[in-house]
Amino acid sequence: MSDEHPSPGVAQRVRALAELFVETDLLRLRIERDGETYELGRKMLHRDDVPEMPHDLASIEAPAVRADQIKADLVGIFHLSRPAPSEGDLLESDRELAFVEALGIRNPVRSLGAGRILAIKKADGDPVEYGAVLFEIDRG
Amino acid sequence: MRTVAIFSEADRESLHVRQADEAFCVGPGPVPRSYLNIPNIISTALITGCDAIHPGYGFLAENARFAQICADHGLTFIGPKPEVIIAMGDKATAKRVMRDAGVATTPGSDILESVDEGLQYAEQIGYPVLLKATAGGGGKGMRVVESAGEMERAYASATAEAEASFKDGRVYMEKLIIDPRHIEVQVLGDEYGNIVHLGERDCSVQKPSHQKLIEESPAPHLSDRARESLLDMAVRACKHVHYSNAGTLEFLVSGDNVYFMEMNTRIQVEHPVTEMVYSVDLVKEQIRIAAGEPLGYEQHDLQLRGHAIECRINAEDPQNNFAPQAGKLTRVLFPGGPGVRVDTHVFSGATVPPYYDSMIAKIIAFGASRDAAIARMERALRETVVEGVSTTIDYCLEILATPQFREGRYDIGFLPRLLAQSGGVSTRALT
Repeated sequence: MSDEHPSPGVAQRVRALAELFVETDLLRLRIERDGETYELGRKMLHRDDVPEMPHDLASIEAPAVRADQIKADLVGIFHLSRPAPSEGDLLESDRELAFVEALGIRNPVRSLGAGRILAIKKADGDPVEYGAVLFEIDRG
Repeated sequence: MRTVAIFSEADRESLHVRQADEAFCVGPGPVPRSYLNIPNIISTALITGCDAIHPGYGFLAENARFAQICADHGLTFIGPKPEVIIAMGDKATAKRVMRDAGVATTPGSDILESVDEGLQYAEQIGYPVLLKATAGGGGKGMRVVESAGEMERAYASATAEAEASFKDGRVYMEKLIIDPRHIEVQVLGDEYGNIVHLGERDCSVQKPSHQKLIEESPAPHLSDRARESLLDMAVRACKHVHYSNAGTLEFLVSGDNVYFMEMNTRIQVEHPVTEMVYSVDLVKEQIRIAAGEPLGYEQHDLQLRGHAIECRINAEDPQNNFAPQAGKLTRVLFPGGPGVRVDTHVFSGATVPPYYDSMIAKIIAFGASRDAAIARMERALRETVVEGVSTTIDYCLEILATPQFREGRYDIGFLPRLLAQSGGVSTRALT
């Protein structure tokens, strides 16, 4: 975007575009209209990576795309919570996705915020060790 | 028999993980969150369908609560029954039990409730005294106190170290006997009252921290009278408490005087020297006994043959108070050949994490005679290459070359005196 201080109208258009973009699998979207250019980018990252954007896009208020890994913090049997989440599901807020059953105790696994489930890494009934990756969540 | 190994995130590349049929991570590097994490360990055993847990020789090996939790979950704890661990593993209680069994003990206290109690007791038995962790082993939670002025600080650090190492900060006090030998007896007992000993090990080559560095079996120059006394007391003590599985009774020996010090209700680091001279697989025996099998042999069936020595290869700097060394092992080559055994979890490219004991290997040499075992050990140590961290290899070679070790005339003050002479460490020599 060419203006560092966009008008409320521009910001609104960018926000609407960003929301649509998040719902797609597109990695990059560029729109040129009326002399204005909007470009949105996405990059798959691990939790520890620093979000990286091309220099010319740095000032766009596009959502920073970030993939979080939800890991098991104890040893047990993995079970999906009901209703069972699926890959691609949008999570509007923090919710329980699964639980790890250990020594007869149900230990909830939560999404720890909103996002989209990119991957479910364990099947229902799998034994899981400490640190096993259970879910990958797109925090974009 | 199939095995499931547990490991922490810091040990993911360790050899025991690679060699097990299955391996499960039970927590991050720090010990309380992994190797002392009882729920995760039990959960691992249950979900992988284990029948039994061998607790090794650290962490939970002498934890009666853990043994009981295993039993509560239908898992066989490969070791003695929880009540025996409580009676014998708890060192202050063990001494009381030993006195009841007619076994000689060093003057010592029950569990100390406070610094003041420690001060009072030390006045009774006279300085110097030792503060020792009642749940302890490996020199952890142990402090020498030479005078009343040192008591408060020593008590605080011993209890803190004991708490951190064993989740049990209780300590007791013992009269420090100057320059005794540390000689221990290996025992095996089954669940039907059969008890045998597998001779003794001399573990007097100890660092100033009381951690053993070189062990051998049989003990050189031990009088027949002292040996008979040791072995007899060990068997008598085990019968008294109906001991089952492998155990070790540690004694202080001064001339012909023998004092029971403590019992380790587990397999010990230095068990291979006994295995070499008795041709008995002690860990296999532990599993057999835990499975309810009788020993199947008697004392006279066990014959000692030859001599065995173990050197501990630690990632430590002997020139700097044996400071532990963490880091990547850029090159590792171990020795081989007849009569040489290497127990290790490392290899070229492995990383020594900062969280755990610094021992990275044990080298054990067997010979028809003590001289032959020493010669073979020297050759084995020279063949060994460990690059990337400082180790105790060269220092073990130096010790083997001393006249005292050659002649087999050393006590627990030997290594601290040697270090003081060479200026290697600034420590109190126990002389």
